Amino acid sequence: MDQLVFDPSKVMAIDHTRRTEYLGALLAYRTGLRTLKEVAYTPSLPDRGYNNRSLYVNVDTLEVTEKPVTQQMKDVFIGGRGFGLYHLWNAVQPTTKWNDPENEIIISPGPVCGITQYAGTGKSLVVTLSPQTEIPIDSNVGGFFGPLLKFSGFDALELQGKSTKDVILFIDGVKGLIRIDEAPEGPVDSHVLGELLTHLYAENDADLPNVSVVSTGAAAEHSLIGMLNFSFYDRRRGCVRFKQAGRGGIGTVFRDKRIRAVVCRGPKVAGDLNHPADPETIARTGIKYHKEIREQDPHQCMMRRNGTAHIVEIMNAYDLLPVHNFQFGSHPDTHKIDSSYWQQRCTQTTVDGCWYGCSMACAKGADGVVLKTGPYQGHMVTVDGPEYENAAGLGSNCGVFDPDYLLELNFYCDTYGICTITYGTLTAFIMECYQRGILNKERTGGLELTWGNAEADLEMMHQMARGTGFGKVAGLGVKKMKAHFIAQGWGDPQLINDIGMENKGLEYSQYMSKESLAQQGGYALTNKGPQHDEAWLIFMDMVNKQLPTFEAKAEALYYFPLFRTWFGLNGFCKLPWNDVVPADNSSQPEPQKVPEHVQNYVDLFTATTGIKITKEDLIMQSARVYNFQRVFNIRMGKGLRLHDAAPYRSLGPVTREEYESRTERYDKQLLDELGIDPAGKSTEEKMALHRTWRTDRFSQLMDSVYTRRGWTLDGVPTLERLRELGLDAFPEVVAVVKQFI
Amino acid sequence: MGVIVVNEEPLGWHEGMTVRDILRAKNYRFPMLIIHVNGLLIAKPDYGTTTVPDSAIVQVIHLISGG
Amino acid sequence: MKQLVIDFQKCNAGRDCAHECELECAIKVFKKDDPTLAALHIKAHEDGGGHAVICDQCGDCIVVCPSEALRRNKLGVVMLDKKVCVGCYMCIGFCEKGAFEYDPDWITPYKCTSCGVCVKVCPHGALQIVEVPEPAVRII
Ligand code: SF4
Ligand code: SF4
Ligand code: SF4
Repeated sequence: MDQLVFDPSKVMAIDHTRRTEYLGALLAYRTGLRTLKEVAYTPSLPDRGYNNRSLYVNVDTLEVTEKPVTQQMKDVFIGGRGFGLYHLWNAVQPTTKWNDPENEIIISPGPVCGITQYAGTGKSLVVTLSPQTEIPIDSNVGGFFGPLLKFSGFDALELQGKSTKDVILFIDGVKGLIRIDEAPEGPVDSHVLGELLTHLYAENDADLPNVSVVSTGAAAEHSLIGMLNFSFYDRRRGCVRFKQAGRGGIGTVFRDKRIRAVVCRGPKVAGDLNHPADPETIARTGIKYHKEIREQDPHQCMMRRNGTAHIVEIMNAYDLLPVHNFQFGSHPDTHKIDSSYWQQRCTQTTVDGCWYGCSMACAKGADGVVLKTGPYQGHMVTVDGPEYENAAGLGSNCGVFDPDYLLELNFYCDTYGICTITYGTLTAFIMECYQRGILNKERTGGLELTWGNAEADLEMMHQMARGTGFGKVAGLGVKKMKAHFIAQGWGDPQLINDIGMENKGLEYSQYMSKESLAQQGGYALTNKGPQHDEAWLIFMDMVNKQLPTFEAKAEALYYFPLFRTWFGLNGFCKLPWNDVVPADNSSQPEPQKVPEHVQNYVDLFTATTGIKITKEDLIMQSARVYNFQRVFNIRMGKGLRLHDAAPYRSLGPVTREEYESRTERYDKQLLDELGIDPAGKSTEEKMALHRTWRTDRFSQLMDSVYTRRGWTLDGVPTLERLRELGLDAFPEVVAVVKQFI
Repeated sequence: MGVIVVNEEPLGWHEGMTVRDILRAKNYRFPMLIIHVNGLLIAKPDYGTTTVPDSAIVQVIHLISGG
Repeated sequence: MKQLVIDFQKCNAGRDCAHECELECAIKVFKKDDPTLAALHIKAHEDGGGHAVICDQCGDCIVVCPSEALRRNKLGVVMLDKKVCVGCYMCIGFCEKGAFEYDPDWITPYKCTSCGVCVKVCPHGALQIVEVPEPAVRII
């Protein structure tokens, strides 16, 4: 509880005017755009959170249509991720591949998105068929695009088709026009393109914050792990910044469609554009929350200072920070990349919300970073972050503890359109393969990918952006790399499979689940793959010992994924829920749920839509969409028990070194849990005992969780569960499930 | 030497041991904790001054953040 | 910078006046005949003293405003530009003095701008506009 003391004298003084500008190509762009299609429409503002229409654009046929948002869509799917899944279901067939023209990218903000009075209310949800997992992926992203899309008159945007030339879609919610332009030759990397297009489409300087650009970067063209950047204009820095829809390769689909950017220009934002049913309740709830942040945050997580990077040192202290491809949980050099460093490196005198009204303000930025490598060598840039995931994934997990390199890796990931989480985990896998001789200098085309070799790491990233060399192999992701290495005969297949941290084809995010059975489920028993946004149960399970039985773990793996799904239906950010808690939270029943904040969310939904709900209804709303997504996975030929399998690295110690780094813990478990005396046994024998025990426990956990979720032991939602949720109204959904029952 | 139980694991006890001492001993550095000593909720400002009796049952609940 | 101050030696916390200051502020500045909508509030303490909720122009809210709607004018007074404000109410939540407020009828919040209309009407001469140095910018 020795909190870090913030020392303002250590804050770097940055001269923003020295940041590299990319407006040189503005004129060429302005004159070079060739309009392929222009359609006029009537802009509108939401009423009680909904415009009641969505926009469909086909970048191949140039069809532009408005579609009604029906009452059934609102009742069953709410918005956001729900709308995304609904549209995607209607767009694709079970045989559709990610790079078929039918595949869609859907961006939908959700009914509450766009209010400005509560923290974390500017999120868009992006859904597509993932090139990595071949099932729907959903990503929750900040930036101004979602709210501006809503204030331009649409509750969702569907992008379908494949263009033969690079196009830019422009939605002007002020003038009421939608334009598809053929883009001139030019940059694709986000930090250049985002700045250029923001200035191109804004009418004047005051209009800059009303423009948001969705784009990706060069690496999305040559890898399966491309992400999307959603921009927002940072007035104080005078620069365009980005939040990322990272996971699952959405950026890859975007470039496969030859979309260079989607730009929305909305009206000037005011506090009432979402036209909620009960603005007073929203105002009251928002002000109460802002006060809570002011009073509590300095004594709790200090999110306003550090953003999520504050957990770097926490995870390290609890032996949970992924180090060297999730082998170990802490490292003596962690202090070089923990929040005491970032506090000084990130500019502190500014407002870092990724949407108006976010008093949690986690979107930190490091200004004045001069790049050392790559095509932008020597440029001075602003780097977003680093967030915890970046510091852990690009940093400790790969043994990179040099903060300057970490920022550079972070920067290039962002501008090239690479998911940092994915990149961190796949690089950690590559480096471990290198350590164990599965890879060597010859096989990597000369890259010495040893732990902590940030230069080789960066070169691999540049290769990924150029589509050359080993970078191209890396861009396939862990799952395809495993198959490739095994096919080449480069190592023991079991070892390769054990240490490749992916499930369903998606790379694990940056937490160590090895010692928490509940978290093993929290990662593997997910809809889209191992991202911690469904459940983060490590403390509850491993440290607090609050989930002693399979039933207790299953209950947590029922409640939290559903609760957290709800953020994505409505356009909320998860962080303001539990990265600060009210002063009296500790005396509440079930403090983990942060009951007062749950009530805030219930109130905000009701006050926005005018539909009265309870906290139980909230869970039901999520359960509909969650189960629909599970059935969607099954429809795509996945989504069964076998697809929830977890790599052994996520369940227990794969190697001798791992076991021996925690001998005391593991030996004790043998004695206490298995009743086996470890004395006299070799490490290999003990590891084998653990493996059987841990694998078996994971399987038992699956049984308990599936049962609690109302699924068969094969992971299929039962007809009864579908009826309970009202999903039996969709014959196609029922038909998918029937094949398995 | 006495023993207390912290999150279901034994920990050596000494005379005058405070809640803060427990947090140090366990390296519990997370800022959002809920601590009960023998069922009694201890407020954060009192961590340094609340002494823990021998054989106490201590629960240190870590809330969730980040994630 | 110009700051409105109150002298509780002179002001009896409304016990022997009709809260002329609040009423005048509400009517003249906000065109509302309702003293609860004034930008200053004088409250009587149980023990006899008084307490005033007034903006002292400290500038904390300037730091938290995401839209740069708050700036100091030439007199150092913190002013809100309604055309720029996005109605997020962070200024309200972060003002330690509770001096930023909102009226459900408006989208943008309001506070005291040291205009001094209240000073003129106080029967006890308890209010005053004074010139004080601007405080340093605080990171919050
Ligand atoms: S907490 Fe961070 S990510 Fe969430 S809305 Fe606020 S600034 Fe954005
Ligand atoms: S409204 Fe509050 S925070 Fe803003 S200047 Fe006045 S006293 Fe300071
Ligand atoms: S309500 Fe307006 S003035 Fe206040 S912080 Fe928000 S944008 Fe700024």
